[in-house]
Amino acid sequence: MSIIDKPSNFGRFAWPTLAWVVALIFFFPIFWLVFTSFKTDAQAVKPEFLFTFTPTLENYTNMTENYDYWRFAVNSVITATFATLFALVVGIPAAYAMAFNPSRHTKDILMWMLSTKMLPAAAVLYPMTFLTKNFLGIFDTHFLVILVLCLINLPIVVWMLFTYFKEIPKEIIEASKMDGVTTWGEIKDILVPLAWGGVASTALLTFIFCWNEAYWTVRLTTIDAATLSKLIEGNRAPEGLFFGRLSAVSTAAVGPIIVLGWFCQKQLVRGLTFGAVK
Amino acid sequence: MAKRTVPKLLQTPAVLLLLVWMLVPLSMTLYFSFIRYVLNSLRRPEWTSPNIDNWRGFGNYEYVLNAKDFWFAVNNSIFIVASILVLTVVLGLAFAMLVNRSFPGRGIVRVLLISPFFVMPAVNAVLWINMILDPVLGLNGLAVGAINNLVVTLQGVPVLGWFFSLWPEFDAISFRATQSSAYAVIMMVTWQWTPFAVLIFMTSLQSEDESQKEAAVLDGANAWSRFRNLTVPHLGRPIAIVVMIQSIFHLSLYAEIEIVSRGNGNKNLPYLIGEFSSNNIGAASATGIFAVILANIVAIFLLRMVGKNMMD
Repeated sequence: MSIIDKPSNFGRFAWPTLAWVVALIFFFPIFWLVFTSFKTDAQAVKPEFLFTFTPTLENYTNMTENYDYWRFAVNSVITATFATLFALVVGIPAAYAMAFNPSRHTKDILMWMLSTKMLPAAAVLYPMTFLTKNFLGIFDTHFLVILVLCLINLPIVVWMLFTYFKEIPKEIIEASKMDGVTTWGEIKDILVPLAWGGVASTALLTFIFCWNEAYWTVRLTTIDAATLSKLIEGNRAPEGLFFGRLSAVSTAAVGPIIVLGWFCQKQLVRGLTFGAVK
Repeated sequence: MAKRTVPKLLQTPAVLLLLVWMLVPLSMTLYFSFIRYVLNSLRRPEWTSPNIDNWRGFGNYEYVLNAKDFWFAVNNSIFIVASILVLTVVLGLAFAMLVNRSFPGRGIVRVLLISPFFVMPAVNAVLWINMILDPVLGLNGLAVGAINNLVVTLQGVPVLGWFFSLWPEFDAISFRATQSSAYAVIMMVTWQWTPFAVLIFMTSLQSEDESQKEAAVLDGANAWSRFRNLTVPHLGRPIAIVVMIQSIFHLSLYAEIEIVSRGNGNKNLPYLIGEFSSNNIGAASATGIFAVILANIVAIFLLRMVGKNMMD
């Protein structure tokens, strides 16, 4: 390659080996979780049965019986999907306006949006409970969870879309204006198809954040709208010693998301640093 | 004219939604922090609902500042966040360097390294505290046992044996015990967020100017001074970003603390607010305002950095 990259023989083997060792150590807890999910509860609490056990699928087949897994999973899917959709529906027009018709205040508005993300959730915990329970009567409903998830992710959605839209040449949008295309047509027929990759990765990332959210989903639900975070949080205690079955639901809860995450690791940087690191 | 109004209309829903989301609960918190509002007050039933007549001024703030858990929670918040920051930045830099050049299987290594970031916090905490850090049921005890066995074996070695005979027998630490539960939280969060640091440093390393490095080599700079004078300044910004974004996230840690020890001996401000919220809403709100102030101190720096970079 270049003159710098002339590793010695030692370097050629030592670096990759070290990288592999580090990566495997980092992945080990996830591996261990999946591994434990194939043990019976009795074996799972005895670590001396490290690798000597007969794998069983009963933890997975009994997920519904043990934890009512699917009810929570369905809630997670519903809330994360709709929250993502709403955030996009509100976020795309906003990001469009900011990217192609910036005004004097655009920068300030974007900054302010970001600052709402930094408000510590705990500070407004009681008012939220009070409002939704006593006042609006929407505590523990899908609607509330969707709304909250949408709102906490909206700043990131707007920011990510903004950074993608900014890369589209303004001339394209202006040309379409000349041709008399309406604003709605511009968004639908030109902007979204052109920035399709950006919109998709924004959606994916938002979905992941919604799925993993563990403060509001735990504090603002009891039964009806409880998500997987709530399920795991509620069964955290070691008293039952049900590590096998707990590992199975945990694996089912995080597995799909980890795979989704692999597809958007590049976009993650942009989303989480608000475009400040590219 | 239409040219100006349409874009404004398009961003109105987003702005309005966020405005309501921010202003309504926050102003309620502010209001509650100035009144007496205690949910289970048998002695004074009039305090059980919010009412302007129960005005207490800065009384709640005074009460919170004198509560024995408050300063502990503040110090602990800062201790947890600072430890995580140092660990993730150091590990993140090291791993990013490690995977920066190409080698066989680099793609897989990256995927493995990145995975912990996508584990949901609740699962992360349950997994670590039960299956890994538990001294009896987890791998912790097994690992300590293995170390003890190794020491015993080494005691039989000639010459060096006497050195190992000085070693004590190690005990597995329980991370559910009050003081050590903070370490458990630090460990699990570091595990989860190091991938984030790796990802950002990696992205940044890829954009480093190779020709500048080559020029440095031609000028006779060795590997260390190239790292010190070219790579470190280049990484300054990403490090600052990693530090600030993580501070914001970790100042509001909650699920991990709840799951590890239910706040026993290991509270941070959000957890303290949660505890107050079951009864003394006035105190919870005053603590909330302190948490907002603490978060804002960090946020101002971050917003400045991001803002500088935004429009170019």
